[in-house]
Amino acid sequence: MKILDIALKDLIRSTRSLFLIGMAFAAPLLITALIYFSFGSIASGNVDMPTINVGVVNLDVLPANSLLEAPLGESIRSMFFDESVQSWIHASDYPDEASARGAVNAQEIGVAVIIPASFTEDYLAGNKDTVITILQDPTLSIGPTVVRDMVTSLLDGVAGGGVAFKVLTERSEANGQALDPATIPTFFETYSTWYANFQRAMFHSPDKAALVVKSPAEKGDTGNNVQSMMGMIMSGQLIFFSFFTGAYAMMSILQESEEGTLARLFTTPTNRTTILTGKFLAVLFTVIVQGAVLLTAGRYLFNIRWGETGSFLLSFMGQMFASVGLATLLVSFIKSSKQAGFVFGGALTTLGMISGLFTANIQIAAFDLMGNFTPQGWVLKAWKLSLAGQPASELVVPFLVLTTMGIVMFAVGAMLFRRRFA
Amino acid sequence: MSYAIEVKNLKKSFGNLQAVQDASFTADAGEVLSLLGPNGAGKSTTISMLSGLLAPTGGDASIMGHSVVSEPESAKKSLGVVPQDIALYPDLSARENLIFWGKMYGLRGATLKQRVDEVLEIIGLVDRQKDHVDKFSGGMKRRVNIGAALLHKPDVIIMDEPTVGIDPQSRRHILDNVKALNRQGMTVLYTTHYMEEAAELSDHIAIMDKGRIIAYGTHDELIKLVGRETRIDITINAEGGRVLEAWRSTEGVARIDALDGTLTALVDDSNRVLPRLFDAASKVGVRITSVDIQEPNLETVFLHLTGRALRD
Ligand SMILES: Nc1ncnc2c1ncn2[C@@H]1O[C@H](COP(=O)(O)OP(=O)(O)O)[C@@H](O)[C@H]1O
Ligand SMILES: [Mg+2]
Repeated sequence: MKILDIALKDLIRSTRSLFLIGMAFAAPLLITALIYFSFGSIASGNVDMPTINVGVVNLDVLPANSLLEAPLGESIRSMFFDESVQSWIHASDYPDEASARGAVNAQEIGVAVIIPASFTEDYLAGNKDTVITILQDPTLSIGPTVVRDMVTSLLDGVAGGGVAFKVLTERSEANGQALDPATIPTFFETYSTWYANFQRAMFHSPDKAALVVKSPAEKGDTGNNVQSMMGMIMSGQLIFFSFFTGAYAMMSILQESEEGTLARLFTTPTNRTTILTGKFLAVLFTVIVQGAVLLTAGRYLFNIRWGETGSFLLSFMGQMFASVGLATLLVSFIKSSKQAGFVFGGALTTLGMISGLFTANIQIAAFDLMGNFTPQGWVLKAWKLSLAGQPASELVVPFLVLTTMGIVMFAVGAMLFRRRFA
Repeated sequence: MSYAIEVKNLKKSFGNLQAVQDASFTADAGEVLSLLGPNGAGKSTTISMLSGLLAPTGGDASIMGHSVVSEPESAKKSLGVVPQDIALYPDLSARENLIFWGKMYGLRGATLKQRVDEVLEIIGLVDRQKDHVDKFSGGMKRRVNIGAALLHKPDVIIMDEPTVGIDPQSRRHILDNVKALNRQGMTVLYTTHYMEEAAELSDHIAIMDKGRIIAYGTHDELIKLVGRETRIDITINAEGGRVLEAWRSTEGVARIDALDGTLTALVDDSNRVLPRLFDAASKVGVRITSVDIQEPNLETVFLHLTGRALRD
């Protein structure tokens, strides 16, 4: 009875934590939604896309004291030169607007992208008056739109990085700890690597690029390709945020220890195992509710078919055990809730990245390999199988691996907790 | 089991530091016992052992006859603990906090609801019961902190410096609460480093310093340790030598010394002696510019026993 009282109290507190609600529900849904809508309600059929000739005028320079290593204009420019788009974009540099304009008029290029000199500075300062000019051959339709979307999505990525960065700094300041300036470039680097991969995945073929701009789809078989991609993308988000939520919820043990309420609990006639069990139960329940909400949202908002009932349940349960296990282990190593932001950010992002969570929709051999050693990697394997319509029998192995990992991590973590608090 | 609280040769070391050394004291059922001592004396450590938070390095203690070492659950049932620092859930309301802590003491249903209502009344927060605790002032938080220990109507309540850092009004409220609880029959162990509080509340006082109980008794018994002499600090408008001699021979003055510009006299009764001191000063043409009378108090006792002030 007291176990449930303790769990219930933790759950009530969780629902009052805007940060937790944001990270558990809002963030994964928003990110998936952004990706979904950037696909412009999904295309149908094959797209025959001619090569687009793009001229780039990059006048952007890095402002003084910038934390970035290169101006944003450079990232935009290099996107068009990236080998992943070479099959359908042919890019060339132009020294100034006039020469690019001339080339468009002469139909040497279909689109010109002109990045002004103070772009990075203005963009980061939030000054939206400085704009990238896109000149286009009026006879073309699809090419310029794709180019514009590529630019916008990259800038969204920068803005996203800004948001993520703000969350990180606010979080650490809330913990009374200033963010070490030395970690800022690392953070941006990590984020931009992830985003660059994501971009590559999105634009690596004219097919997918065209998806960005095609007219709304009719319901039907042709959406399959995109639908399965959405499934992959969302399962990556689902897994990442499930682990994050588990770890964050588990942190309430540290919080209680710091708030003095854990000591107070120990002065009541409630034994210590009851107290710890109640808290674990709350974490488990949080992860279940979060998973259930996200899976349902994925099904009905994004039309994702998560798989056959058995396979689906095995994946979900495996994910649950693994998140609670890893959460217990991680938190048992952390000294104070002040450290938690960094440890979670660092450990979960790294594990997520090497397990391929952020690149779930593409095959990256190294991540597939490393994923064999991480709980996240195995959860992703499970969801991929389930999404591919595999029967439950195919999921027994990942499920068993996840259960074992979960139990081992939980046991070690719980032992460390007991030693520390009991 | 004649004592509500019995502490026998209790010891606690943290590494080389002996935080509590051989502490022994008792409290009868229904009394207020104060544990008075400066910061770092070992009061909180003693209380942590009594409340089952820390295992003693040696010795034992019992609450209502239940050893905290061998029957901790029974001891805890008879005990309400008010921690020194606020230990509440800031994002829960006052009422939600009380309900939760009541459940941890095994209360349920109608009894729980009734006790929560009663306690809200006692701590004077009926109007604010739905507000989250993090919206409260320091004094209000302290009151909830106390309330959470009262729900199960414990036989013994332990309060660890419940008035530190709060406004005078909340402090008054808390002291009155302590007296009221005691009148209802609760045994109270109250720790403090404010001698006024110990003097006002206690039936018995244990003075603690550097991990040891250095004195134990009623307020009057402790005062007797330093005699009944009143101390008078006097400053004058001239050099002390002239009047010092005259004052030394004044009737009722046990002793007088000059200490950096101030003359300090120990006298048996300031009402009788002071006029004589003024007379003597006038005769030698010296003006008294200030007089400070200090009746003997627990501060003096502590000074007498340790050579240090209670508060630094
Ligand atoms: N957990 C601990 N570890 C090490 N030393 C401690 C610990 N708790 C208290 N102490 C030390 O024990 C002594 C007594 O502390 P405490 O009981 O808190 O004193 P008081 O409550 O009278 O101010 C102090 O010197 C304090 O630093
Ligand atoms: Mg203390």
